[in-house]
Amino acid sequence: MDNNLILRTESLSKTYVNGPEKTVALDDVNLNVRRGELLAIYGPSGSGKTTLLFLLGGLDRPTSGQIFLDSLEISNLDERRLSTLRRNEVGFVFQNYNLVEDLTVLENVKLTMMFEGKSEQEMAQRASDVLRKVGVAHKEKNRPSQLSAGEQQRVATARALANRPRLVLMDEPTGNLDQDNSHGLMNLIEEIMIAEGVTFIVATHNQEIVQATASKVFLKGGRIVNDSSTSSAL
Amino acid sequence: MVGLAALILTFVSVQSLVSTLEINLVGSVSSLGGQIDVWSRGASYPLVSKIPESYADAIRSLPGVTLATPVDLALLTVASDEALVAGIVPAAIPRLFSYSIVKGSMIASNQSGILAMGNSLALALGTSAGDEIQLNGQSYQVSGVYSTNTWIDNSVIIPHVVAQQMIGMVNGTSMIIATTQDPRSIDTLIGQIKTLLPATDAFRSSEAPSRVSPLFASLETIAADITAIVTLGAVLGIMNSNLNNLRERMRAFAIFKATGASYGQIIRLVLYESLLLGILGTLLGLGISYVALQFVSIPVLQTTSVRIFLLPSTFIYATLLGISISLVAAIYPALRIARVRPQEVFRFG
Repeated sequence: MDNNLILRTESLSKTYVNGPEKTVALDDVNLNVRRGELLAIYGPSGSGKTTLLFLLGGLDRPTSGQIFLDSLEISNLDERRLSTLRRNEVGFVFQNYNLVEDLTVLENVKLTMMFEGKSEQEMAQRASDVLRKVGVAHKEKNRPSQLSAGEQQRVATARALANRPRLVLMDEPTGNLDQDNSHGLMNLIEEIMIAEGVTFIVATHNQEIVQATASKVFLKGGRIVNDSSTSSAL
Repeated sequence: MVGLAALILTFVSVQSLVSTLEINLVGSVSSLGGQIDVWSRGASYPLVSKIPESYADAIRSLPGVTLATPVDLALLTVASDEALVAGIVPAAIPRLFSYSIVKGSMIASNQSGILAMGNSLALALGTSAGDEIQLNGQSYQVSGVYSTNTWIDNSVIIPHVVAQQMIGMVNGTSMIIATTQDPRSIDTLIGQIKTLLPATDAFRSSEAPSRVSPLFASLETIAADITAIVTLGAVLGIMNSNLNNLRERMRAFAIFKATGASYGQIIRLVLYESLLLGILGTLLGLGISYVALQFVSIPVLQTTSVRIFLLPSTFIYATLLGISISLVAAIYPALRIARVRPQEVFRFG
């Protein structure tokens, strides 16, 4: 695999089976993602964006096809290795943020590090650092329900970054944000890309993000119908 | 947590009731002293034992025997209530057990109409040395109140010959207690007694409690059955509660898994949480049991109500039971929740 590529899929397909009913969510998706870039995946609702992110993040398994994270083929990994992958290699920012309501902001950010078995001191230090970086350090003792949507988005981003992943997947990151917060988030992503060298894949409806992004893939009916990612030329 | 506390309260109460009864009954047979007990064959308690008094002479004739004295035991009416009455040869009393006189004096002759009373019983009846008291409908004078710090403090002692007449056991006795010069010869003597008197059971006095224990076999079985049923109910109840609780927090566990928690880590998390709640529930149950049972006493006899014995072993078993139940009841819910598929929870809630 090209050293510049961090992620590659080959003929990736996902079909959901519900009794006699079969729904093809992804069909023969071939994707190349460059290291350190921001890739926007856009398309209408039901086009397979979230399914694709779940497969890329090791949260679900493809029906067929392969996913390579660097040279590691992740679609056939066992559960234990997939957990390790989700913990160390991939950060996920979900559409509804999925912060744990019973935990404080700081505890939410510590989660991945806790599962990694890091020391309390190390977790506290890193969690404070990433919270400062995303601009919500002053809210670390609050519960998620006490935060605005924009703040929750930032906390979710901080959690995704806590274990220094190589790849961050964001599902509709601006779906619940106003225009100012959306701009703020995109600026933040750029800062993090530069500061931490992280690759971002963002599934979005937001045309502003799509237009502002150099690399983008248009999904429709589970198929890539327009690939203008920088790596499509490879 | 509250369910577990209730289970612990039930367990401690049932076990303590049985223990208290057993300790008292065992105490009543083991407080008479001596080295060898001779009961009628097959008797599980001296109250139901009856052997000829002449056996005492036969035993006394065996080499090495220093004392062989008959003892009658009966439940008789003292004042208006029932109490255990021991008919003992007065001269043998100091050789059977050590006592201190609280007031008055110990019976010293076969004179009828006098008795000695244990201080616990005297306290319960409000009686003291010199008082008149009705024993089996006849007037007796309390010659003295003694203290032994054993169960016999709940009893009355009268001369053996008087007891024989009173309970209709002329020429008979409930049991014979023997002592020997050389403790190493006890087993030999027991063998000789069994050969000499085949209608009797002879055994070390220290084994008397084990003779009584068959009486408790059914009671202990009932207690064990109650514990098993309540335990099963608790396991099912706590498991159901855990399942509901975890189902409500399914999203949190899905987030844990999505952020890198492994199958094993989720199981450990659930078990740790259950263990913590189990320890808290157990401590709560032990605390409630300890306080509540301080105010409970059970009537062993009409005159004798004893406070519940709270044995450390009961509390240790209760703790082990509580912790085991909390862990066992968490295993299935933990396995279920560890299989949660985050992508499904996030999509469908």
